[in-house]
Amino acid sequence: MNARNIILILIGLAAAGFVALVLSGKIMWFSTEPPVEINPNMDLQFKAIPQSGNTFFSDRKSLREPVEGTVPRGAEPYTLGVGDIDIAETANVDPNLPDTEFVLARGQNRFNTFCSPCHYYDGNSEKSQMTKRRWENIPSLMADQAKGYSNARIFHIISAGQGLMPSYADKMNATDRWAVVRYLRHMQGVTGTASAAPTTQAQ
Amino acid sequence: MFSRRFDMGVKVGGAIIGAVAAVVFLIVFFGFRNDVADVGYRPEQPVPFSHKLHAGEMQIHCQYCHAGAEVSAHSPVPTSQTCMNCHMAVTPKDEVQEAKIKVLKDAYEANRPIEWVRIHKVPDYAHFNHSRHIRAQIDCQSCHGPIEQMGVVSQYKPLTMGWCLDCHRSPEKFIVGARPISGVFTGKLHDMKNLYDSAYIFTPIPAQVGESLPITEPQFGSYETAIPPVTVAGIPHPKKAGIGPENCSACHY
Repeated sequence: MNARNIILILIGLAAAGFVALVLSGKIMWFSTEPPVEINPNMDLQFKAIPQSGNTFFSDRKSLREPVEGTVPRGAEPYTLGVGDIDIAETANVDPNLPDTEFVLARGQNRFNTFCSPCHYYDGNSEKSQMTKRRWENIPSLMADQAKGYSNARIFHIISAGQGLMPSYADKMNATDRWAVVRYLRHMQGVTGTASAAPTTQAQ
Repeated sequence: MFSRRFDMGVKVGGAIIGAVAAVVFLIVFFGFRNDVADVGYRPEQPVPFSHKLHAGEMQIHCQYCHAGAEVSAHSPVPTSQTCMNCHMAVTPKDEVQEAKIKVLKDAYEANRPIEWVRIHKVPDYAHFNHSRHIRAQIDCQSCHGPIEQMGVVSQYKPLTMGWCLDCHRSPEKFIVGARPISGVFTGKLHDMKNLYDSAYIFTPIPAQVGESLPITEPQFGSYETAIPPVTVAGIPHPKKAGIGPENCSACHY
């Protein structure tokens, strides 16, 4: 057996190995085309699945808007507008979540997820990504002004928004928002109720 | 009877046809299996959104945009409103960025959804539930791969039934390590590297340590009880927690 044959055999083995690895899925093959299904297997059925297109409706959306004047079951719409600060002081009744590690951890989770892009993990807003990305003067949550706000006022700002800040009522349910208030108060070192709202139990 | 040449032709022709048939069989049988064909699907999206920039560099948490993944079966693609939370105020750097943002702004102003191309899809007869997996402390990357490093998202895992069952049978081989410090849990994206940065770690109030419940994802709607963590050597263990059913009707109902 000469050297030429050995080289040919090696090339053949390498090609066979490559084919075997591709066919067994060990080598990832990027494609912009949707995968071909030789046997469709009822993978795609004619039914409405979330956020898919749907030819049944004229606007081609599977997700339907609620009928006017109705509220979806389980929804907690926040009805106050951005300017309704005075109403919010009395309308938002602090449920006084217990100041346990559990509630604070939940508040921290939601704060880090939704608040930290602008206000940063420590609430100071200086090192946050949005400040770095040419959005100046995001108010600090550790400033005396924010510390002086009542719990109901902070809940109102989270729920309805303020200035350039949008509403987060669609992303967090009411209990989660109160947990965020609880966690923020913990970070600020504001103890007790700085709230002007009644402190009775919501339940 | 037949000439020598015809006889040879039959033999060679038969060999060629057999070889072609074998190759076609191999390609059809293996190459179009879902775990081969689906992995690496990387479609072009209407807006060239980069997870590498948003999740990787800016460290925006997954659930900021995919809010609802922890309470519903479907992990929603964010609405244009969610994009505009930041992009109404963040100014684009140059014309290239401005053109990309313009598609988004036009859709937002016209109140028309952006038609994102779906990548990850289980068959319609299988019911995958995101919230159950997040509550079982499984992070996003376990199934979606290193999303925060992907400029253009591609499917990373096969999402076949065998792949599901592999993990349901022995999750400890696939779910890497402990999850309380993963982003899903603390809200800080892949904070493994910041684990020792005390500023990001919640420090419990000393007086309440003794009586406090362990930090776990709350059962939604109830702040009274936590899901009791089942741990093996301090690591929450999905299998031991009774999670990962293998019966058919768990997913096919």
